[in-house]
Amino acid sequence: MSERKRRRGDPAAAGSSGKTKIRSDASSSPLLFKNRLKPDSIILATLQQLHAAEQSSSSTGKVPTLAELGLSSTCREVSDRDPAAVRITIEDSILAAARSILEGRGFSFSVPSRSSSNQIYVPELDRIVLRDKSSIRSFSSLSTVRKTTITVRLLALIHQLCTKNIHVTKRDLFYTDVKLFQDQTQSDAVLDDVSCMLGCTRSSLNVVASEKGVVVGRLIFTEQGDRIDCTKMGVGGKAIPPNVDHVGNMESDALFILLVEKDAAFMRLAEDRFYNRFPCIIVTAKGQPDVATRLFLKKMKTELRLPVLALVDSDPYGLKILSVYMCGSKNMSYDSSNLTTPDIKWLGIRPSDLDKYKIPEQCRLPMTDQDLKTGKDLLEEDFVKKSGGWVRELELMVQTKQKAEIQALSTFGFQYLTEVYLPLKLQEKDWI
Amino acid sequence: MDSEGSGNSPIERNKRKKSNVKSAKKGKGSVLKQIPAEFFAENKNIAGFDNPGKSLYTTMRELVENALDSAESISVLPDIEITIEEISKSRYNSMIGLVDRERVDEELYDDFESAKAREKRLAKEARALEIEAKKPLLVKKMKDNLHGRGPKGRGDASFYRVVCKDNGRGMAHDDIPNMFGVVLSGTKYGLKQTRGKFGLGAKMALIWSKMSTGLPIEISSSLRGQSYVSFCRLDIDIHRNIPHIHKHEKRENKDQWHGAEIQVIIEGNWTTYRSKILHYMRQLAVITPYSQFIFRFVSEVQEKNITVRFARRTDVMPPVPAETKHHPSAVDILLIKHLVEESSKQNLLQFLQHEFVNIGKTHAERLIGEMGPDFSAKMPVKGLTSQQIVRIHQLFRQAKFDDPSGDCLSPAGEYNLRLGIIKELHPDMVATYASSPQVFEGHPFIVEAGISLGGKDVKQGLNIFRFANRIPLLFEQGADVVTRTALKRINWSSYKINQMQDKIGVFVSIVSTKIPFKGTGKEYIGDDISEISSVVKSAIKQCCLQLKSKIVKKLEARERQERKRNLTRYVPDASRALVEVLRELKPGKRQRLEDDELIRKVISRDITEATFREKLTQHVEQVDYEMALEYATQRGVREEPREPIYISALEGARSSSILLHGPVFAFRLIQ
Repeated sequence: MSERKRRRGDPAAAGSSGKTKIRSDASSSPLLFKNRLKPDSIILATLQQLHAAEQSSSSTGKVPTLAELGLSSTCREVSDRDPAAVRITIEDSILAAARSILEGRGFSFSVPSRSSSNQIYVPELDRIVLRDKSSIRSFSSLSTVRKTTITVRLLALIHQLCTKNIHVTKRDLFYTDVKLFQDQTQSDAVLDDVSCMLGCTRSSLNVVASEKGVVVGRLIFTEQGDRIDCTKMGVGGKAIPPNVDHVGNMESDALFILLVEKDAAFMRLAEDRFYNRFPCIIVTAKGQPDVATRLFLKKMKTELRLPVLALVDSDPYGLKILSVYMCGSKNMSYDSSNLTTPDIKWLGIRPSDLDKYKIPEQCRLPMTDQDLKTGKDLLEEDFVKKSGGWVRELELMVQTKQKAEIQALSTFGFQYLTEVYLPLKLQEKDWI
Repeated sequence: MDSEGSGNSPIERNKRKKSNVKSAKKGKGSVLKQIPAEFFAENKNIAGFDNPGKSLYTTMRELVENALDSAESISVLPDIEITIEEISKSRYNSMIGLVDRERVDEELYDDFESAKAREKRLAKEARALEIEAKKPLLVKKMKDNLHGRGPKGRGDASFYRVVCKDNGRGMAHDDIPNMFGVVLSGTKYGLKQTRGKFGLGAKMALIWSKMSTGLPIEISSSLRGQSYVSFCRLDIDIHRNIPHIHKHEKRENKDQWHGAEIQVIIEGNWTTYRSKILHYMRQLAVITPYSQFIFRFVSEVQEKNITVRFARRTDVMPPVPAETKHHPSAVDILLIKHLVEESSKQNLLQFLQHEFVNIGKTHAERLIGEMGPDFSAKMPVKGLTSQQIVRIHQLFRQAKFDDPSGDCLSPAGEYNLRLGIIKELHPDMVATYASSPQVFEGHPFIVEAGISLGGKDVKQGLNIFRFANRIPLLFEQGADVVTRTALKRINWSSYKINQMQDKIGVFVSIVSTKIPFKGTGKEYIGDDISEISSVVKSAIKQCCLQLKSKIVKKLEARERQERKRNLTRYVPDASRALVEVLRELKPGKRQRLEDDELIRKVISRDITEATFREKLTQHVEQVDYEMALEYATQRGVREEPREPIYISALEGARSSSILLHGPVFAFRLIQ
């Protein structure tokens, strides 16, 4: 009760309506908003426009490469290489090490540094890239002998994978020599070092993470020759294959891609066959996105030239997840060019939606100190700053100190999300 | 506590006590009129007599501290024997002349066990026995338990005879009854660093013995060079506050002993306070390495007997603390009044000049001038009105005075603290530091700190040893300034010390003319006094700094020793991985000729895994040799530091005392 009183006094939160009004609206508003919905054909028309714009613009909006920006000497980037090329690179470094040992000098590797001090955000590219600082990892030093040994062991294992052209998961890799690796974080970290060192993406090393992402909707592709129709995947959807190299022949009649933060919202959309009402492809990574999901999204976006709309929680964490899709994570910054999908549109749930769609007080949560700190930190991030709309939304969130999850919409009925909220949003072109 | 220093002479007070006995019996006398023993009975917890266990502990420590004071006051190295003897109930009964009665009506007692409860307990114990049967050692114990009685009843008091014998000053034959029989008999004039918490010494213990067992105390004492030993058996007439003498006689002094031996029989609890008592003895041994303690626990059960000897490690004793005068910023109105009454000085000028520290003649004149027109240097000090005294007090509060010097204090000494730590803990490393004298509210204080690493009987993590005026503080550790500082304000890892895993001993000794204790039990010093906490912090830090360089050297040395082993450990893994790849290669595709040759050699088995192992091992040895050489040139040749040893003097040979001092030794002729 006191909570509500306090909020009423807060000018930002109170809006135009008083407490009693909100309460009476709460029962009528679903209807109210539903009445504002125009027929699906009109909404589809707006989506067609969006689609057409994306189709035409993508040809012109070519992202410059590092070389074009004159950064190739100061920045490091990796590329997809075929197994044979990876093999040659590994053999070269092994031979160099062997020669060095035979000459009695021990051996060492030059490993690019992946620390945050060695990363910069390049505004022209709209993502984080790695600079060219590297360190010598020597067998003769106590502090690096362990990592050096793990590195040479991983090189041998990857060489084997590339020779036989098979794929294994990071977990598999760890289990090949548990005694040396001790725990998986160590082998994972060195694996990233190795892919940086060899200048190729992690998937070119034939090492994948276990699958996490799911896709459903108007998409047809082949995976190692099997044709997969994502409209016939039931409610659970199709797991995004860990190795995106095996995915090909993408076809789709969708008008957009809907990126969903959470599994629960994904399930609702899939069960209600949202993609049949508005042709779209629905993707989720169930929280923080893994490499495979990011690669898959990137592939869809570039091959199908579809606009991407994002549905995340209205909290700093939701925005953080969005930023990983768009600008890449710090951990994988060496591979940011392959992993990021710039130009994702923030559909919802945005802080301004809370009042706009009259989400009742009891469904909003107060932000914790940690949330507020993350929110304020995000305001300092370059990718937020470049969009005025985003800054305004984030400022509103920090100011009202309120957050809400996608599930908050369920107060108006479980299907409110698919039947009212999303259609209305699309109709109003309410994305930024 | 404070009532003791409130200025009444003992005779006066005693008179008043006597006249008040009747009214006190009526029960509604004011606190001031209350007789000491009754005050004690109501405030047992303040003096540390909360429960039987703690009473045993407090009794012992009061006796030990008295003994230490007594020996130190005549500059004799203390030799103290403490015996705690368990007395069974039947023995106690026979002592007081009570016949043991068997229980007739079992159900009358609190610990009566109904048949049902007994069945339950036996079943439970049988089950436990079954489980324990596999561990042969424990079976015997369990059986013992089975034969013992059931739950212990509330009425089962345990009794102990506590005996403490020292080689101190001793007491004059005729003084003994009054020294023990009259509570609050002494008044302290002046200011001095003292050991006891309340200055009541053993008297509290005597009242406790009177309250719990009713048995008299026995005192043997002899002065130095006295041909006889005084023996006295007495108890206190609590209500009249006078001694009640049973026996007072002179006995033969065969071995020229001097000192005192005091024996009390009290109710106590050894089981619950055993570790506290032993800890106390150990910590006391740390802070007084110049004394020798023999602690015995005697029980009717042979296995429970304990004898611990804390040997002397040095004969350097801290000086006897000097009596000093009050600092003007540390007095209150009552104290000024008291000083005026007691002063032998006639006029105000002399009074200010002689009854306080840090007031010189000119300073005193200026102060009098500042007090106002009704004051003059020649005015008689006894004629000061209450208002005038308040004025003096106000001025004392506001005026600036030099800080009191620490000369009157008697710290344990860095040397002694260090020896004490080494002697009792046998640590791997130790560092000590003594602060310069500091001031809190007009009382000087000195903080000494020691940090030890490793040692025997030390648990992992922080072990905190606190001392105030050279006695250990064992209770209420949590809120203490030392505990808080060590836990919260010291970043141990920056000194390469692992707070969780290393065995760290933190020793902090604070001496002052007035220790600002907190809480009722006078067991800890508050954390809110920034003057003290900052000194404690810097003292601990200084110790840590000293240790850090030692630790770093040790780590370096260890790293040097282990480098080869650690590097060699990875040789097989690395070699195997390399050869695995090399075996897969085919010659003829490489740009470099050497590479092709290498691959051919691998195929022809001229180069194998063993080759790489050998080469890598050689390399590691080479690296290790170079690093060792570099290490040696940096450090130079260094010898381990020598520890001074102490050889204790032969017993009984102390009487002949021609000391020949040399620069590094002293030489004594023994007859």
